Amino acid sequence: MNPQATLSGAFLQSAGSTLPDALKTMRQQRATALADMPVPTRKTENWKYSSRHLQLDDSLAGTLVGGSSNTAFHNGDAYRVVIRNGQLDLDASELPDVSGVEVLAFRNLEDADAAQLAERLDNTLDSKAVQFARLNSARFEDGLLIRLAKNAVLDKPLFVFCENGGDKAGSAYPRIYVEAGQHSQLTLVEEYTSVGEAQALVNTVTEFSLADGANITSVRLTIEGQQTQHIGATAARLQANARFESHCVGFGGPLRRHDLRVCLEGKGAECKLNGVAVTQGQQHLDNHTVIEHVAPHCESEESYRNIAADKSHAVFNGRIHIHPDAQKSNANMSNKNLLLSTGAEIDTKPELEIYADDVKCAHGATVGQLDEESLFYLVSRGIDRKEAGTLLSMAFINELIEQIPVEPVRDAAHARLVRFIEQSFEGA
Amino acid sequence: MLSIKNLHASVEGKEILKGINLEIKAGEVHAIMGPNGSGKSTLSQVLAGNDAFEVTSGEVTLNGENLLELETEERAREGVFLAFQYPVEIPGVSNIQFLRTAVNSMRKHKGEPEMSAVEFMKLARETSKQVDLNPDFLKRGVNEGFSGGEKKRNEIMQALLLQPKLAILDETDSGLDIDALKVVADGVNALRAQDRAILMVTHYQRLLDHIVPDYVHVLAGGKIIKSGGKELALELEERGYGWLGIDEDAAK
Ligand SMILES: Nc1ncnc2c1ncn2[C@@H]1O[C@H](COP(=O)(O)OP(=O)(O)OP(=O)(O)O)[C@@H](O)[C@H]1O
Ligand SMILES: [Mg+2]
Repeated sequence: MNPQATLSGAFLQSAGSTLPDALKTMRQQRATALADMPVPTRKTENWKYSSRHLQLDDSLAGTLVGGSSNTAFHNGDAYRVVIRNGQLDLDASELPDVSGVEVLAFRNLEDADAAQLAERLDNTLDSKAVQFARLNSARFEDGLLIRLAKNAVLDKPLFVFCENGGDKAGSAYPRIYVEAGQHSQLTLVEEYTSVGEAQALVNTVTEFSLADGANITSVRLTIEGQQTQHIGATAARLQANARFESHCVGFGGPLRRHDLRVCLEGKGAECKLNGVAVTQGQQHLDNHTVIEHVAPHCESEESYRNIAADKSHAVFNGRIHIHPDAQKSNANMSNKNLLLSTGAEIDTKPELEIYADDVKCAHGATVGQLDEESLFYLVSRGIDRKEAGTLLSMAFINELIEQIPVEPVRDAAHARLVRFIEQSFEGA
Repeated sequence: MLSIKNLHASVEGKEILKGINLEIKAGEVHAIMGPNGSGKSTLSQVLAGNDAFEVTSGEVTLNGENLLELETEERAREGVFLAFQYPVEIPGVSNIQFLRTAVNSMRKHKGEPEMSAVEFMKLARETSKQVDLNPDFLKRGVNEGFSGGEKKRNEIMQALLLQPKLAILDETDSGLDIDALKVVADGVNALRAQDRAILMVTHYQRLLDHIVPDYVHVLAGGKIIKSGGKELALELEERGYGWLGIDEDAAK
């Protein structure tokens, strides 16, 4: 691809939609501003490992439609919202009726609410650094707005099932905005799955704005098909004493990219970011995280693990930026990687930028293989190699999976990971 | 049952086993003694199929079947069991999950139905009592943070669960206190059976007080240099290895 190439005009045509005027106007402005967005290349620092997996063919520019759903959405004891190709399906949803909690579709917002949202969208992320969040802002056709009043607590987790795909190539732009009032609490589970057979580009943005003392747990699963490229972003902005906890579980694909950005903006804010990613075959998965310690006395704890099999490629780039005023920051980042074959590749890059002097900051990254001695111990008990390898691989990530706080999601993630990893050992 | 003929094995180009010959019949218990570094663990590992060791010549059969051609897991399913001198710790895999997977692998091989989690838990609890291990150990990672003695008891527990044809016990008595030694010895005696052979590597007569062997062999410098009845162990206890024409720590 020519290095100067900008995003094809075809991607800047937002489909007519039923959005309120304020949001339509905002979207149009974003689209205009996007006209000069360079398509990432090998020379684009934050895309250097992933740009060659990016396929932005014009055939993907149109909005995905159709694609019949076969998913029996696992429910557990939870509320649920279904988003199909970026459009909320309220009939298939089960919304909470809890005081102080509003779960709304962008398309149904009153003018005043829409105008307020148009002001706030994008304000949790630095859209220059997350190129594709800009594309989402120019293209979303609906979205999920969750507003929690002061002290509101959603009593059960809210599952958001994002199904994308169709019978004809295209793209989808799911969008979520969470406005959490002071001391409010929410557990949000996003699950991205594929339907249909056609080539798809799924470009997501989920934003969390946490007022003082708000507490949000976010779980994000991407288990999409091999016809789907996924480029997603999650951003959280925390005021004083707010807490944000994130659990991401990603399964490989032709391209899986997730940017996670957390800004600790108020004193005493705290975040915990866990991530597990698995890849096999020729798959490619790339996690980029950034934690901004802006205010003093904030804590961040980050742990990401990757398992790469066959000829797959996993990337982790984790940046911690401690601003000059962020004294007494406490930041801990770890990235561990397991290579299941000599043909697999892992690139890990922790980056620390520290401009305050009174901080505690630690980071570590390792890349290793299965322990031969452990493997021998297991097979010497009659366990076959595939099962032994799966047990040891799961042992590598179990610690993080066990921390997923929603039981049915944790169990489902665990079972899927086992199946995926077993496949990695088949015929090996 | 087990027949070893002129077995040579090396590691990283260095020959460790230099022509081992050994016949063990069903129902027999054989003890192998010998100085540190003489190749006892190497022999045990080679029998179990650790491919860190290269077999350069010789032959090993179990009930007529060529063991050397089988993968480690296939040998285990044919009934070879090794209690490790240094059992490995595997954090993240729970002991119960490991044990159940092992037992079910064997059952699958024999065409028996797999045991459910509940069914197996019952069996595992009973067996853990037999080796005097608190059932809480089942929930912990495999050997994770186990004391030396607990690891050894866990090895015997596995032997009891897997019911092998040939049990090779590599210094399962070392590091045990007197009570634990008794527990382990009871476990091993429980394994003694007409259709089972046991090969015990040990440095001490005290184990052989509890488990009386049919034969005792001395392995030194990669060869069996002397074989005898149970009296040989007593003699070694008394006189050391010197009288056999080797140093206490002759190895290489
Ligand atoms: N993986 C290895 N790499 C290099 N040398 C090895 C390896 N394993 C064993 N050896 C060497 O082989 C020789 C025999 O070791 P082995 O463990 O079989 O002795 P042993 O008779 O079991 O001794 P001990 O009584 O101390 O347990 C030793 O010299 C040892 O250092
Ligand atoms: Mg030894």
